Amino acid sequence: MITTPNLINKVVSGITTWARVNSPWIIHFNSGSCNGCDIEILATLTPYYDIERFGIKLKGSPRHADVLICTGPVTRQARDRLLRIYEQMPEPKFVVAVGSCGISGGTFAGCYNIVGHIDEVLPVDAYIPGCPPRPEAIIDGVVKLLTHLKNGTRPEPIKPQLGEQA
Amino acid sequence: MNTEARLQRAKEILAPFARETLTPEANRVDVVIDAADLTKATAALKSADWGYLSAITGMDLGPDAGQLEALYHFCDAAAVTSLRVRLPREGQPEIDSVADQVPVASFYERELSEMLGVTVVGTPDPTHLFLPDDWPDGVFPIRRDFKIEDAAPVERDTPKVPEQGRMGNKFIVPIGPQHPALKEPGHFEFAVDGEIITGARMRLGYVHRGIEKATEQRNWIQNLYLLERICGICSHTHTSAYAQGAEKLAQVEVPMRAQAIRELVAGLERIHSHLLWLGVAAHEAGFDTLFMYSWRDRETVMSLLEELTGNRVNYSISILGGVKQDIGLEQSRSIHKAMDYLEERIRYYLDVVTSDAMFLQRTRGIGTMSRDEAILYGALGPTARASGLERDVRVDAPYGAYPKFPVSLITDERGDLEAKFVVRLKELLVSCFTIRTIVDNLPTGELAVRFPRKVPAGETVSRVEAPRGEAFYFIKSEGGESPTRLKIRTPSLCNWTSVLNKAVGHQLADVPMMIAGMDPCFSCNDRMVTVRRKDDSQTMTWAQLRAYGIEKYKSR
Repeated sequence: MITTPNLINKVVSGITTWARVNSPWIIHFNSGSCNGCDIEILATLTPYYDIERFGIKLKGSPRHADVLICTGPVTRQARDRLLRIYEQMPEPKFVVAVGSCGISGGTFAGCYNIVGHIDEVLPVDAYIPGCPPRPEAIIDGVVKLLTHLKNGTRPEPIKPQLGEQA
Repeated sequence: MNTEARLQRAKEILAPFARETLTPEANRVDVVIDAADLTKATAALKSADWGYLSAITGMDLGPDAGQLEALYHFCDAAAVTSLRVRLPREGQPEIDSVADQVPVASFYERELSEMLGVTVVGTPDPTHLFLPDDWPDGVFPIRRDFKIEDAAPVERDTPKVPEQGRMGNKFIVPIGPQHPALKEPGHFEFAVDGEIITGARMRLGYVHRGIEKATEQRNWIQNLYLLERICGICSHTHTSAYAQGAEKLAQVEVPMRAQAIRELVAGLERIHSHLLWLGVAAHEAGFDTLFMYSWRDRETVMSLLEELTGNRVNYSISILGGVKQDIGLEQSRSIHKAMDYLEERIRYYLDVVTSDAMFLQRTRGIGTMSRDEAILYGALGPTARASGLERDVRVDAPYGAYPKFPVSLITDERGDLEAKFVVRLKELLVSCFTIRTIVDNLPTGELAVRFPRKVPAGETVSRVEAPRGEAFYFIKSEGGESPTRLKIRTPSLCNWTSVLNKAVGHQLADVPMMIAGMDPCFSCNDRMVTVRRKDDSQTMTWAQLRAYGIEKYKSR
């Protein structure tokens, strides 16, 4: 069999995509959320919703993670930490913004200690609206992201417009 | 002793200092004192064993009045005594610290100084409590003339962390703000000597959003939904406390049926919160099976909350003047069914946490806090009750439907982590029983009454027992469509002092469990704290550190 660099590349990238799609490890950071989204994210990881069946595992270190799940608006004190965590993650990396306030500032819009929503600080790949989103919605958002990873494309996020029903 | 007798006693104790004594509500006495008398008045209340310092409210009376006011709220069962101190607004307003008498006051004082620009003389740590490191000097968000443009970030060469906070030549283990054990951001620094902790420090403020200020820009109804989002876990506590205060100010009588439904949802919230905590605490101990089990069972109560209110997390059941949804026959059946299941499971967990040998090694005799220490540190909620301190607003100062559907007080004398597990789980059984009683004896009547758009001028104190302890609200209205000042003090803040002090002397490996033991909730209490250091600080260069290490190794 004749192997060409192209073929090797193709095989390797095929394997990595397969691995990534089947075991996306996530890291979670709360940059100013009320906790509501965080407990729902945790609920998706526990037996009733069991997001581990998609190979998703919550990791403690950003260096092990493929997907950063962010909740809450970004506060002035948390901004640098959020960026630091994002920078520590290996490429390719994806960001999911969970909850209305992470998407638009939500109920905290205009507060003095808020820098802004998550996509003003980081490039966001998927938005999961809700206050807080149901665990099913979180699973749906993550699965949509995985579908795009499988096709080798970065998702084109459709950001919910302000005033639109989430 | 009843409330009147307590208030009478407070008046007698404070008589030497009182400039003026007011009785704004039946359960409150406000004593106007001079700033110079504050420490003496606090000492008098403390030596007479009258209540505990629950909160300090700072108010700006506006540029026209030219004054600031600080209110020191002391609570003893249902009685609330507030020491009111007026300070000049211009120049350098100064007040003496009471932190040497009441350690927990150091948090409140730092909040007072950064939010209102009052210099607290002699407070242990005058640095920022909530506000970010890049906050400009001389800008105080709670002042009435604060403009968000003034708060633009300033560049600082050095972060505003006090030098003594670096804890000298100790090896420091930093934890957080992003950490696998903590789902919310908080930053801890533990100085260790080998495995033993010799000092503890924490920095919060990562989720400080500025809600107190935001309430002044939203109307009474909008605030209900804003305050619900102080904390996703105890959202109903915040709406209850706020609604209760606003209803008192507006003199709206809430129907008994609505009160009972509020208590019922509060009970369900307690179950969801404590089961959540049980899981997280077990996870910290490495007991993931219990974590998964308790979170699975928690879904029962989440589904029930969704069935009753339409939402899993921010239930929005309370509205100003009553509640939104009724409880029908079908719902009461679901409630009984869920309670049957939960009671069985809770009994099982109670058995597990008191008999599993491996688990007991992580909990029995760890972080033991005596009753006296709990009083000194101002502990609240299950953290206090696990040390035998009988402090529960639902029992001491029953509000809403609690006089009609009382709860029994659960305490434990041991004060260690095991006691905290036992107290919380027993509380769940009490909650299950109360919920059943309410469902079976739901009072008839209206669900809500009309609430006015404008609330008459006045001030009120509203206290509610959250799953973590007493939540304190101070609400002031000037007759407008939004509150003039809304002060919130949440229970986690009071409990930090106890945990950080008790961590000293323990093994580092016990720290996650001890932090989990108080059930911390960052989103509601976000502040910054420095506590207890055994040694004075000093800085070491790398060469010195190396030399020190070699010397230490040789001397073994």
